[in-house]
Amino acid sequence: MSRADQHGRTARLAAAGVAALALTAGLATPLNPAPQRAAAADGKKTLTVAVAQSVDSLSPFLATRLVSTSINRLMYEYLTDYDPGDAHPVPGLATRWSPSADKLTWTYTIRSDATWSDGRKVTAEDAAWTFTKMMTDEKAATANGSFVANFREVTAPSPTRLVIRLKKPQATMTALDVPIVPKHVWEKVGDFSKFNNDKSFPVVGDGPFVLTAYKPDSYVRLKANQRFWRGAPKFDELVFRYYKDQDAAVAALRKGEVSFVAGSPSLTPAQAASLKGAKHIRVNDAPGRRFYALAVNPGARAKDGQKFGDGDPSLLDVRVRHALFLAVDRKTIIDKVFQGHAVEGQGYIPPRFSTYFWKPSPDQKLAYDPAKAARLLDEAGYRKNAEGRRVGKDGKPLTYRVLCHATDPNDKAVGQYLKEWWGKLGIGVNLDCLDNVTDPWLAGRYDLAFDGWSVNPDPDFVLSIHTCAALPDTPKDTAATDNFICDKAYDRLYARQLAEYDPAKRADIVQRMESRLYDLGYMNVMAYPNAVEAYRTDQIASIETMPKDAGNIYGQDGYWSWWSAVPADSDPSSGGPGSAGVIAGIAGGVVVLTAVGAFLALRRRATADDRE
Amino acid sequence: MTTGVTPPADARGADARGADVQGADARGADAQGADARGADARGADARGADAQNAAAQDASAQDAAAHAGPRRPAWQRRRRAAARFWRQYRTHRAGLAGLAALVLCALLALTAPLAVGSDVAGVTDAPGQPLAPPSGRFWLGTDRYGRDLLGLVVWGSRVSLLVGLLAAVLSVAIGAAVGITAGHFRGAYATVMMRVTDWFLVMPTLVLAVALTAVLPRSLGTVILAIGVTTWPTTARLVRAQTLAVEARPYIERARALGGGHAHVMTRHVLPNVMPLVLAQTTLMVSSSILTEATLAFLGLGDPTVVSWGGLLQDAREAGAVSAGDWWYLVPPGLAIAGVALAFTLCGRAVETVLNPRLGVAR
Amino acid sequence: MTADAAPPPVEEVAGRTTGAAVRGPRARTAAAYLRYGAAKLAGAAVSLFAVLVTGFFLFRLIPGDPVKTMTGGRPVSAEQLAQYRREFGLDLPLWEQFADYCRKALTGDLGTSYQFRAPVIDKITEALPNTLLLTGTAFVLYTVLGIVLGTRAAWRHGRLGDRIHTGLALTLYSVPSFWLGLLLIVVLAVGVGPVPGLFPTGGMESGGEEGLAHVLDVAHHLVLPVVTLVAVEYGQTLLVTRSALLDEMGSDYLTTARAKGLRDDLVRRRHAVPNALLPTVTLVFINLGRTVAGVILVETVFSWPGLGGLFYQALSVPDLPLVQGLFLLFASAVIIMNTLADLVYPLLDPRVGR
Repeated sequence: MSRADQHGRTARLAAAGVAALALTAGLATPLNPAPQRAAAADGKKTLTVAVAQSVDSLSPFLATRLVSTSINRLMYEYLTDYDPGDAHPVPGLATRWSPSADKLTWTYTIRSDATWSDGRKVTAEDAAWTFTKMMTDEKAATANGSFVANFREVTAPSPTRLVIRLKKPQATMTALDVPIVPKHVWEKVGDFSKFNNDKSFPVVGDGPFVLTAYKPDSYVRLKANQRFWRGAPKFDELVFRYYKDQDAAVAALRKGEVSFVAGSPSLTPAQAASLKGAKHIRVNDAPGRRFYALAVNPGARAKDGQKFGDGDPSLLDVRVRHALFLAVDRKTIIDKVFQGHAVEGQGYIPPRFSTYFWKPSPDQKLAYDPAKAARLLDEAGYRKNAEGRRVGKDGKPLTYRVLCHATDPNDKAVGQYLKEWWGKLGIGVNLDCLDNVTDPWLAGRYDLAFDGWSVNPDPDFVLSIHTCAALPDTPKDTAATDNFICDKAYDRLYARQLAEYDPAKRADIVQRMESRLYDLGYMNVMAYPNAVEAYRTDQIASIETMPKDAGNIYGQDGYWSWWSAVPADSDPSSGGPGSAGVIAGIAGGVVVLTAVGAFLALRRRATADDRE
Repeated sequence: MTTGVTPPADARGADARGADVQGADARGADAQGADARGADARGADARGADAQNAAAQDASAQDAAAHAGPRRPAWQRRRRAAARFWRQYRTHRAGLAGLAALVLCALLALTAPLAVGSDVAGVTDAPGQPLAPPSGRFWLGTDRYGRDLLGLVVWGSRVSLLVGLLAAVLSVAIGAAVGITAGHFRGAYATVMMRVTDWFLVMPTLVLAVALTAVLPRSLGTVILAIGVTTWPTTARLVRAQTLAVEARPYIERARALGGGHAHVMTRHVLPNVMPLVLAQTTLMVSSSILTEATLAFLGLGDPTVVSWGGLLQDAREAGAVSAGDWWYLVPPGLAIAGVALAFTLCGRAVETVLNPRLGVAR
Repeated sequence: MTADAAPPPVEEVAGRTTGAAVRGPRARTAAAYLRYGAAKLAGAAVSLFAVLVTGFFLFRLIPGDPVKTMTGGRPVSAEQLAQYRREFGLDLPLWEQFADYCRKALTGDLGTSYQFRAPVIDKITEALPNTLLLTGTAFVLYTVLGIVLGTRAAWRHGRLGDRIHTGLALTLYSVPSFWLGLLLIVVLAVGVGPVPGLFPTGGMESGGEEGLAHVLDVAHHLVLPVVTLVAVEYGQTLLVTRSALLDEMGSDYLTTARAKGLRDDLVRRRHAVPNALLPTVTLVFINLGRTVAGVILVETVFSWPGLGGLFYQALSVPDLPLVQGLFLLFASAVIIMNTLADLVYPLLDPRVGR
């Protein structure tokens, strides 16, 4: 073969390669966005949500991650829901409920207009079976076992009547966040610890959406349940797409590949700022339901009285704890780290839950005051040595290990500030950032730790994790306790609020608990981060936030957002970026082809010169 | 030599065994891949063994000359060798460019405390607004805390270079120690050591390093250790081959006969002869260590309170610089990593070519 | 791969000057090859076992009690914890766990993932095709590109074209792959200024397409990760090919071939390249194994649902069975490819067995 031939072949090959690239770029661009666009060719309206978590399980008995429980919530209806306005209990599967006089028996009336997606009726028997299964089969209690721990017996005397008998009074009986599953499907399941509910589609459910497809770490697909008792959702399809990288998800939103991005747990200030100026995108910056706190190790211990872990003994002095918090400039954290997308921390429960929100009185408040902090430390006997370092009782300079989540950029950022603020006080900081903080945390091997919880409309859970009852039985056990706080005064208040069925009186007790927690100085709430999320207005015309004004969309206590979302009528951008993409793709292809051609021509000349 | 091959009777015969071994090992070096940057030059091919053979022979001849001739002070001999090395190195333009870049970087890193000061890394009194684009005051803009990015990139060079150098030194030191001892003591010890080496060679480096950083507490030391203990096998194989070649020479036999112990032979005869190889290997290894450090920092496995180039990129990604299009946050640290890695590779290739003239690849 | 046991073929490879002496009878070469192959296979088996052992013990050093991690934040009774430990076999003594693990691994049972509560083998078979698609495509492209460009560079050694190719290869080889990926996302996926984003920002598919549309969709998602991998990986192949060919070009037989009046191009393709390809072939095999393991970064940057991401997730729990399974897979991929290279190498050498 002559060299000319050979070059011709190479050129053809190269051209073919480039053409293939250009084609996938150009051709696939219009094809690609089509299915995700609100208005697709076949008229199907699809809402695509970018998520960062991978699904742990789709079985409501196993799922614990937010993404999975959110999807379960769309698939299965609960007994009661929370009002999107002020989160008071509203009918779900149950239309009415009432406790007995002795507070130990609750009777629910189950609606008769709810059907499973396979056409069978939803009955009280399904609910009774679900609860009983969790009470009797340990493997089914993995995710929601705590809800039934206090249940004595659950029965269904008629298809519309559910009776739950309790061991002792429980104020959270209208906050049973347990997906009710169809008995006729689930009673065939053998081992609940291994059944992930992701093999046969569509999955029978009674929620606003029906699960139709799932590909791990790629997507979860749901279609609208036309028989949903509250009315069918307006979108025909709901897709959760997985993006490992939050920034990639934001980029996908910019391009219209997805309709909604929540971020995990929130968009960064830079992302929010850059999206605010973008066309067809709305940034929803809502007061969050989380608190962001600095937890102190109060000396880890078990119920049997054994102490373990190695928290610094100086932290047992309340003056030291207060001094540390006095030296934390919460305003700077809000301004610099959250860049305004958070509210300065006060009490334990975020202001969004106005019933339970509490803030310290002016003389109780530990406002930013480094001078006072230094004074308190001096008083407590931790004085500076010659090098300006504060010295502990053992004669060694004080250095605290601060446990941080390597996956949370805010932890690292705030940690940097703590290091410098406390450094000025004369206290060293060792920022210990781990992917998985659980181990040192549960073993009490830390001094301080970044902490944060999402608060439910009913605050029982976040309050319970600071009671002595939540401590592990022995150092070897795991328990619900957050950071080993055990305070008698707090516990008495906790017991009182749990048995209090009068909402106003209960709120008052809860606020007194928060006050106690604040004074103890073991949980120092620095901020309430906002829920910063964004969606495309050319795909979603309107969507319900919770609470209705200034609320969030992803991770609501309910299915309101996706159920209520209204597709944008006409898609003003359809054809826009698509055809622009084609043109750009073809133009790019032509440019590359020309360049390759020119390159090859030049090469041939050059090779010709090379000939001896 | 085992079977099948008639040992050539010419002068090369003495080194033939070493060369064979090296041939096999050079392939092993390629096998390493991930960290064998410049594997092309080193072991370019199994058959590059001849080339190495030739080089070894040169060295052997020089040594022989040195031993036979009137005893000159060792330092004088070394100085001449260094001068000769430099004369040859000078002819490699790419190598010179790499060296110039490295000197510049080193100066920058060393003068950083004076030029930018450690305050540049402080967050509480960061001078600017977060994520500001480049301006007259901040030439490369600011990062997520409002710190000056130019200053941070300069400051970060200290950690990146330090980790790169220390990890490379650790890796090459382990490799050289294993290689020399495995080459010197044959038998069971060598077999076990080479089995261990092979085993480390097939471990996916990044996977192992990630696992190690997960096991140990997060600090610069951990990163250095993780890189050092996962990347040494290439060096071990090369050094062992060279050791075998050196030990096959007659004068080693003589040294032994004169009562030189193991330590004497290894430190006085083998070590000086493998030093050039070790030097070249270190230079190449720094480049890959810097990349690995950046990779680990980017995966969030570094020390978050220390400013490094990889850490800056990780910060940038976490802050959302990619989707926001804040290129000034993203481009400089990456360019710095690539630039320094490239400079070390160029130097390493030049060094290798000088020491191994027949390959002539770096020209 | 201990060199002491280096059998004839490898020596032949190395001892080029002795070329005349090695053309022994065919049968003898075959027998030698068999012996050589057996040694290699035995070595590989030992390595595999070592990997099995390391996989088990190394990850047990990771701080973190998987049971506590999984149940953290939820009230769990001591009995329930014990039940979990029983379920995962964590209540047994370590050596029994190890024996159990080895026994099961040999039968292909890698245990059950703690966090996904699914057999590890299922999680791997879910993700493996995705990783293979990505690395396979990139592998073919960068190997072909590296060999073609490396040959050209060597043939025009020292000229501008060579300098450009070598320089570019070295530069791209020094670029951190994750950084290149991020830049590609910024420029080609998000779009800069008037340039619209042409490619998806991440993931492998949009989901929901069928048939040709689905294939095109996946191809579209594949472009950027593949380009990233090819860019950072082709340099090595190029450099190895180039230096091997340079080495070859100095040899006598090429001069003879040219002196006989054979055309330059023909000499290159018929004589020089096939010989020079040998080291490249070795590299190719080894790269294939290594790329599978090294894909963690690119998969992370592009949200590709493959093994890399799975490994990273598993490591943070730690999801021991999944980590072990993946580690085993990564390391055995490298071992198997290395062994294949060892076995194939002598067969491909034109100087052997003629």
